[in-house]
Amino acid sequence: MIERLRGATTATVAGVAAGWLALALLVWAYGEAPAAIAGQLLSGTWGMPYGIGQVLYKATPLLLTGVAVELALRAGLFNIGAEGQLAVAGLAVATLGAHLPRGTPAWLALPAVLAIAPLAGAAWAVVPAILRARFGAHEVISTIMMNRIADAAVGLALARGLAIPGTVRTPDVVPGARLPRLEALGLTSLHGSAVSFALPLAVVVAALAAVWLARSRVGREVVLVGLSPTACAAERIPVARRLAAALVLSGAVAGLAAVAPVLGYKGYFESGLGAGAGFGGIAVALLGRGHPVGLVLSALLFGTLEQGGLVINARVPMEVTTVLQGVIIVAVALADARVRAALLGRGRAR
Amino acid sequence: MAALLALERLDKRYGAVHAVADVSLAFEAGRLHAVVGENGAGKSTLLKMAAGVVVPDAGEVVIDGVRLDQHTAREAIARGIGMVQQHFALVGVLSALDNVMLGAEPVRALGRLDVERARARAVAVAREMGVSLPWEAPVETLGVGDRQRLEIVRTLVREARVVILDEPTAVLTPGEAAALYTTLRRLADAGRAVVVVTHHLDEVRDHADTVSVIRRGKLVSSRPMNRRDGEAMAALTRDIMGEGPPPRLERRARQLGEVQLELRDVRRGRALRGVTLRVRAGEIVGVAGVEGNGQRELVRVLAGLEPVDGGVVQAGPVAVVHEDRHAEGLVLAASVRDNLVLGELARFARLGMVDGAALEREARGRLERARVVPPDLDAPAAALSGGNQQKIVVARAVARAERGARVLVLAQPTRGVDLGAARAIHAEIAAAAEAGRAVLLVSADLGELRTLCDRILVMARGRIVTELPPDAPDARIGEAMLGGDAAPGAEARP
Repeated sequence: MIERLRGATTATVAGVAAGWLALALLVWAYGEAPAAIAGQLLSGTWGMPYGIGQVLYKATPLLLTGVAVELALRAGLFNIGAEGQLAVAGLAVATLGAHLPRGTPAWLALPAVLAIAPLAGAAWAVVPAILRARFGAHEVISTIMMNRIADAAVGLALARGLAIPGTVRTPDVVPGARLPRLEALGLTSLHGSAVSFALPLAVVVAALAAVWLARSRVGREVVLVGLSPTACAAERIPVARRLAAALVLSGAVAGLAAVAPVLGYKGYFESGLGAGAGFGGIAVALLGRGHPVGLVLSALLFGTLEQGGLVINARVPMEVTTVLQGVIIVAVALADARVRAALLGRGRAR
Repeated sequence: MAALLALERLDKRYGAVHAVADVSLAFEAGRLHAVVGENGAGKSTLLKMAAGVVVPDAGEVVIDGVRLDQHTAREAIARGIGMVQQHFALVGVLSALDNVMLGAEPVRALGRLDVERARARAVAVAREMGVSLPWEAPVETLGVGDRQRLEIVRTLVREARVVILDEPTAVLTPGEAAALYTTLRRLADAGRAVVVVTHHLDEVRDHADTVSVIRRGKLVSSRPMNRRDGEAMAALTRDIMGEGPPPRLERRARQLGEVQLELRDVRRGRALRGVTLRVRAGEIVGVAGVEGNGQRELVRVLAGLEPVDGGVVQAGPVAVVHEDRHAEGLVLAASVRDNLVLGELARFARLGMVDGAALEREARGRLERARVVPPDLDAPAAALSGGNQQKIVVARAVARAERGARVLVLAQPTRGVDLGAARAIHAEIAAAAEAGRAVLLVSADLGELRTLCDRILVMARGRIVTELPPDAPDARIGEAMLGGDAAPGAEARP
């Protein structure tokens, strides 16, 4: 166990270090001083309350999609579909939120909109889950396919009536369906940043997911199925049902990620809102190494880089932080046996 | 005659498993040499080393007096060693001829393919083998027999003088198998050394010039087949199964109760061709037979992992120890705790959450009873020795039998297990029967069957061919394993 942890940490540290090195080289190639840019990146994020708030805001959906991808990975499945699950859920949340009676109190409105998000995400994951469980179709292919369908379906739904005519955004949700910003707690120094109660919600979900995997009957069986479907089938564990459950639950958590931008920030859904968090969740899960604390730290790192890119954009293109993220992902993914197993090893495992 | 291919003191370990231990063997030109032994005895590893597919830890592969030095498949092929693997390596969408050429394409100037030359060569080889093949047809449209002939053509086009075939008849119908041996005989007569790995003793009896037996990684015997009578075959059976003193076990009289497991004319694909048997409560019934005669499918049917095509299975709840503990018995990366109760989490769940304390008590109890050393529930199953792993699998099945399963089915429960663990497992099996379970024990180990069983059923070609008392002479059992009632040639399996 300790051994495994050490190996995981080494890979993570090496990956992050390699990423920063790549960033330094790029910055230097742009004729700027790497140290100065890195300093600006850090002071613009963790160096000021607004920056911290923005990092936390960006980290919120990443944490949830990270948990989503992790849930599937535990079953030996690679959910690439968080992106589409999040988009569909975002539209569903905003549409329901906007159509509630104007004066709906928060105690009624919030549970409704918070419930529709995972339901929509789960519904979008049902198709790949059935394809995998019934026909053995590789979930990487089918979830990518569902992402493209989500793109088209969301666009179509917006154009055909869900959006305010002439725009690509939905009407505002009713006030009772808004998630309060954390500054409502009296953290006035966060003023202006979009971090909301979606953040503590995400942390709770990460913890619940870990408990579910470790303590619940279905969760434990999901993990065992991920380790050896053959042995589980021989002992009459319903392998196909467990795989489907993991994928649908993964979709539900990915759908929940939509509440951060929709209910905590904008108050409506627009084309492209939250885009990228689904794929970002893959990186968060890989870097998080299967531990809830790891997932939180990893979401914070990627949130920092996203916000940091905006901070340094005036001097070097913000895409240099994307390069940094990319290098980290590739390095860590290569070191992650689960990724290799999910992508390559299934055939060999019989 | 001098050996064409000589294996000299080959040795190979995979982790703690000594797959091949200091084996020396010589294969002569003009002879058909059969290599036999249980699954996992090391036959395939040995011959893969000969073909350059596996690099030996120690020892030499010598062809024509010169040793291989790189141990790559490329080198072995260049030196005239060809191997037809159990799972064919053909490209389905390409034509038969394309597959023959693949990797050895004759070319004209500027690298253009010389298809005509390739075809002429393939046709010549096929004529020598006495077969014809549809060269233009995509391989995926070919039957399994044609595919195998194609694989042989491939090795011969590359001028193989030693042709190694790993269980070539496993996928063939009896007619095809007979035709295969006709072809192999022609190859031998033309001066090649032909090596065949097989589980079928009747093939050895009918076709081999020499037979070598591998058991637990070691060469047990290697002898010319100049006697093919029952006594010689019994000696061969003994070599394969081992004799030695059977593990000690005090037999106590058991009360036989009602029939708990009954199969009537059960059929499944080509593997089970009408199995009929009954096991009563308190009875241990053994199933003997050369592997690959339907035992594996029988166990899978009893475990409910495969449907039957016909016939009747009547059984109460069944607890099963599967043959392959690494693939089917254990989740290797999971803890000993999880493995001890694999598939039983529902019992420990309240409102969907697992009662960790109850699970811990149960797992601890099973672990202590199985005397796994060290008694560490947190260790991954992969970290345990084979004997301890098997104790876990058996403990789980026995516990399940105590908790309501009326039938206990065990397949090769002590394979690859040290003597101490084997005795402990035997004691558990006997205790389960004394407690009134109906036990079906499928084993390739005659000593084990004699020690434990009340009756021994001999299985051959997907049928129970005879029933013998546990003290029947080896020769009787060996003869029955040849499957008296069937046609010569190999049985097919799906």
